Amino acid sequence: MATREGTRNSEGRKDSSDKKLEDILRLIELCRNIQSSSVNPFEVDIREKLLVLKRHLPEWNVIDVMLKDSEAMQQLVAIVKLQDQYIKHRASALYIDPLLLELKIQLISKEELAESFAKCWHPIAQLDQLTPRGLEKAFVYWRELVPFSERFKNQFGNPGESAGMIGLDELESLSIFTKEEFEARLNVINKELADRSNGKEMDYREFIKGKDPEETALRGYLVAFVVTEGRATIRTAPLTEQIFISVIQGKPDDETKSVAIVVR
Amino acid sequence: MSESTNPPPAASNATQEAAAERASLDRKTRKAFQVLLIQRGRNPGVKGWEMRRYLGKDYKKILEVLSDDLKPLGLEVHLVPGPEGTDDSTRFLLRFRDPPTLSEAETAGFRIDDLAVLAATIALVNSKQGRISRKELESFLKTKFPRWRIDYSVDRYIKRGYLDVDDKELVRIGWRTRAEIDERSLMTLILAQGTQTKTAASK
Repeated sequence: MATREGTRNSEGRKDSSDKKLEDILRLIELCRNIQSSSVNPFEVDIREKLLVLKRHLPEWNVIDVMLKDSEAMQQLVAIVKLQDQYIKHRASALYIDPLLLELKIQLISKEELAESFAKCWHPIAQLDQLTPRGLEKAFVYWRELVPFSERFKNQFGNPGESAGMIGLDELESLSIFTKEEFEARLNVINKELADRSNGKEMDYREFIKGKDPEETALRGYLVAFVVTEGRATIRTAPLTEQIFISVIQGKPDDETKSVAIVVR
Repeated sequence: MSESTNPPPAASNATQEAAAERASLDRKTRKAFQVLLIQRGRNPGVKGWEMRRYLGKDYKKILEVLSDDLKPLGLEVHLVPGPEGTDDSTRFLLRFRDPPTLSEAETAGFRIDDLAVLAATIALVNSKQGRISRKELESFLKTKFPRWRIDYSVDRYIKRGYLDVDDKELVRIGWRTRAEIDERSLMTLILAQGTQTKTAASK
């Protein structure tokens, strides 16, 4: 029973300590917000905040919390400084109620605004000229300027080739295919097409479908060569957009065209 | 006879001294004009300590003389107090004595819209204790100007020194505004604009 009471007390103390720390963090945040906006710094009641800090101070025994406490104090000092500037500004001739000014700016035209500006503008008169020292600096800069092609090499490396088509020659050079193997595969797929279609049209996607996407892509690639060589033909049904493939018996037609098919 | 025509030696010395002083003043005034006219650093103008080095400790008097001499040319020597408020940190520059007309300002590469953005920004920043968050400024200007012009103009004026922005994205008045623009008159003129038009219309 006593243990449970003790636990409850320690939890209560922890909650209270968290609440106090939260007070400090909230105060720091409030001060930061005031500093980073044009809100009236007198929104912060310095006296009240100082009393809060004073009340909590004897209870702090962790160095991190003490540091937060001193940060809050520093932020309050910054707010007092802002309050000083605010009073000085309000007392100066430049003070005009912001709301009144905003309304006025919205009411008058751009021409009237520009005219008001021009009437109290005294542009600076100055002479820009090239000095021997400036010329020397420019020469040194130009001499040491790295050519454009090499300038960003360290950050981005060499400019690579953009994505494009990979040809049979390239596949051969990458040892993915050899010429003989490729020809043999073309013959195999052509024979398979002849067997499966049995002289009729058959669904293209069904024909190229392999065990996995890689095999499907490879079969699609080979079929493209078979079609290009004029050993097979592809037809798309205009209404259903279904693609059919069939073997060409004899010589291919003269009327041929290129078709792009997405292999999924 | 010769005694009566020749001035006494003491008076002659005084004349010579006065002539030498005048020559020295002329030389220093010329030097001050050159120093002020030719841009040395990144920003125009010369600081007080530099002026003292070029012209001696009486540099303020020489600058007053120069300012009077420049009156017929429509120029004046203007001083901008430095952040420390000391003589050494004060910046001296040459500027137009009288403001240009709106069409003259346009020929200098400022569009009416650009000038209007700057006028509204300066007035608003001043009314908000000299600082305003960039977001707040942009959202206010958006009611009057297109978005692209606001971004372009504000960036341009920050670059030219008319406005200043700190790491907290708070926009403040830049050194160039302090040097070129009579801020108090600007606020008064903006507030008076509508009433002037009304008065003229009622007449």
